[in-house]
Amino acid sequence: MIQALRKLLDKFLNSLFKKKKHIKLGLYGPPNAGKTTLANKICTDWLGEEMGNVSDVAHETREIQIKEQISIKAKGKELSFNLVDTPGIATKIDFEEFIKAGMKKKEAKIRAKEATKGVIDAIKWLDDMDVVIVVLDSTEDPFSQVNITIIGNLQARDIPVLIVANKIDLKKSDMKRIESAFPQYKIASISAKFGNNIDNFYEALLDMVN
Amino acid sequence: MPHQCVRCNAFYEDGASEILKGCKCGGKLFFYIRKEKLEEAKNMTSNLSEEESKEIEKDVMDLVGERKEGDDTPVVLDLESIRVLKPGKYELDLVHLFKGDPVVFKTGDGKYMIDIVETFKRAGEKEK
Repeated sequence: MIQALRKLLDKFLNSLFKKKKHIKLGLYGPPNAGKTTLANKICTDWLGEEMGNVSDVAHETREIQIKEQISIKAKGKELSFNLVDTPGIATKIDFEEFIKAGMKKKEAKIRAKEATKGVIDAIKWLDDMDVVIVVLDSTEDPFSQVNITIIGNLQARDIPVLIVANKIDLKKSDMKRIESAFPQYKIASISAKFGNNIDNFYEALLDMVN
Repeated sequence: MPHQCVRCNAFYEDGASEILKGCKCGGKLFFYIRKEKLEEAKNMTSNLSEEESKEIEKDVMDLVGERKEGDDTPVVLDLESIRVLKPGKYELDLVHLFKGDPVVFKTGDGKYMIDIVETFKRAGEKEK
């Protein structure tokens, strides 16, 4: 209750002064969608340093990562925020998948346990977020339980959402499929790895928050 | 609602003293099972070897985290939110997790506590 009142007050003050905002911006999505790659791109562009490790093996990020005080500017607008990169949200975590990716059994089981804890932590942090970027892999089917549950819950909590359709550099990327899955949302299509359309993403983010 | 000891598969009803103190076999981890899922749960746990039960017990205690040294109070994992089918194989029910339903129940001082704030402290709070 107190938290809700504080949020309301913050929103009121922000709208009153209309100056540089300082918000918590969360990166959410399924594993291997490119959340950390996007976090690294944002940090490299505006801070000159990376945020975390990326890997082809799912669940590389298993703990919440925070980078404070990032300021981005575009078209005369400015936004200052703390960037929160979260572990990938999944419904099944199986150590055998990590073994297939070349890990040893013991290491794979530890990764599975940490990834499970990561999912719980990511969900617990959701209430602290002011804005969320949902990062989706545009080569994958967007109609998944994970995507629908994340986006539905953000809507229920009244947290503004920007959907990022990542990996547009890949042949299998299908933007139309994502647009038809979430027609009521603003969608920025990018390649976080190669920086394609990244300026459009920053503009969409500033438009949404300002 | 039944509680099942992960180590020896014994079932206990709500309020049983074993849930508060630990199972007769020495086990400190129980699965909390809704009645309609009882048969499913029985099949699941009966396929586990002793070694696997112990591994699951250790993994879930690690997952719960934040247990102080020497704290051996039993922990009850709600299977509705997280299922551990075999060591290293987890199924998560996102709808329950997003709803903020408790994942674990802890016992202590002869009481049964639903205490996720304590058991799942967030990284940011640790620094405070």
